[in-house]
Amino acid sequence: MTGALSSIMREPAAWLSGSGPHSEVFLSTRVRVARNLDGVPFPGRASVEALERVRERVLDAIHKNNYLMNATVVSMDDADSATRQALVERHVISPAFAGCGEGRACVIGEREVVSAMVNEEDHLRLQCIRSGLQPVDAWRLLERIDSELDRNLQYAFSSDWGFLTACPTNVGTGIRVSVLAHLAALARMRRATSVLAGISKLGLSVRGFYGEGSAATGSFFQISNQTTLGQSEDDIAYTVERVAGQLVSLEDEARDQLMKRESARLEDEVHRAYGTLRNARLLTAEEVMELSSSLRLGVALGLLDDPALGTINRLLVITQPGHLMMAHGRSSGNAARDAARAELVRRELSGTN
Amino acid sequence: MSQQCDRCGKEPASVHYAEVVDGRLSVWALCESCARERGVATTLPSFAGPLVGILMGLLEDETLEETPPDAACEECGTTYADFRRGGKLGCGACYDRFGPELGPLLRRIHGSATHLGRAPSGFEGEFARREELKRLKADLRRAVFREEYERAAELRDAIRSIRRESGEGNDGDGSAQ
Repeated sequence: MTGALSSIMREPAAWLSGSGPHSEVFLSTRVRVARNLDGVPFPGRASVEALERVRERVLDAIHKNNYLMNATVVSMDDADSATRQALVERHVISPAFAGCGEGRACVIGEREVVSAMVNEEDHLRLQCIRSGLQPVDAWRLLERIDSELDRNLQYAFSSDWGFLTACPTNVGTGIRVSVLAHLAALARMRRATSVLAGISKLGLSVRGFYGEGSAATGSFFQISNQTTLGQSEDDIAYTVERVAGQLVSLEDEARDQLMKRESARLEDEVHRAYGTLRNARLLTAEEVMELSSSLRLGVALGLLDDPALGTINRLLVITQPGHLMMAHGRSSGNAARDAARAELVRRELSGTN
Repeated sequence: MSQQCDRCGKEPASVHYAEVVDGRLSVWALCESCARERGVATTLPSFAGPLVGILMGLLEDETLEETPPDAACEECGTTYADFRRGGKLGCGACYDRFGPELGPLLRRIHGSATHLGRAPSGFEGEFARREELKRLKADLRRAVFREEYERAAELRDAIRSIRRESGEGNDGDGSAQ
């Protein structure tokens, strides 16, 4: 692994900082666009030679880009499986890209705000991830970068169907706007299901997810636009932002009610979670996810002064298997990994008191 | 205590996946390989190829012209059967080759088959011109329908002048007159 990449991995990504708008409910916002070069088969139909030529052209345009000229380029051929896994956990690359073959690269901009996959399903997947809820701002930044790139790259585009993509579900704007919500109070009040079912009727898709051991508490959800054609990028970003804004109100209301009705139980849960995280000697990824969810809610409600939201967000990523493997080697068994995870969590949380 | 996969019951579940179908939420705990098979991505929402295949099946009754399975894109060799099976197109030219089938499919997926977003910088003038032509032609059809012949003549002249400016003799965007 190159020195540049290992220093990226040591620093927390900017989107984990917990400092963006509505960070107490929304961890992050991600906007990505899918682009292909005109006259070249999409990666699924391209030869290795063609992929390498595409990679060269795209990287050349990226090096000339004002925003990305100093970005780190990682050739996927050089990345071992732990590194690939860790990049998935940092949301820099997709799980499909982690398993890819030759001719691929990823590009990581400063503090991982902007990154790109070259030759995933499409020739270029460019994304911007921000802390908190900011779909429109994230799109504005991405738009600036993309419109500079397209002066050096001729994109496959049709006036009827917009940007042409390998999968017809991405055609048109090629944009996917997704926000990662922590609906801790709605989930505890068993109202998340009906709220999210309502959102899905607005043409947005809802997935509960967060990699390994996640969502056992059912409180991390990803919400994104389902369609990419027939609406402008601005409209899509505004729609997600507006709906997510409604979610903030509903979650805030549920948090208030929870505090009124069950403050003793809630306070107990939050302090127990903090106690366990600071003292346990073995922790599974799933436990970290659940306990961090309680801790996050406690901090957001002011039941605890420490740790910062950013610290908790970071825990969710650095306790994942790829990050642990990078730090401790892959040979370690489950028990050793759980011990390493617990030690890492203790160390992260000890600095905050 | 790790949970077993809801689908195969063998591997430990590592992906928690919620989907909403017809307003009902179901939550799955899946292992990596079952998640991949179901087309569930753990980071970005990915729409599985099979979904496109299912939609194509639904659309069979709606499309008038039947594209034979061995019809192939001249540029990349992707056949219509490949597209039906994997849900993926091979290159930009596939969109033209399979256009008659794609229109209804895109309407089914997106509720629209017309791009309204931004265009690449080199394309903006051209894009604006085509948009203007589309609008004028729609107005012209309406004017003829309403028997407003004076207005129709103005619109016809406007269309001609846009075409002359861009040095284009015939109908550039391929749509029917």
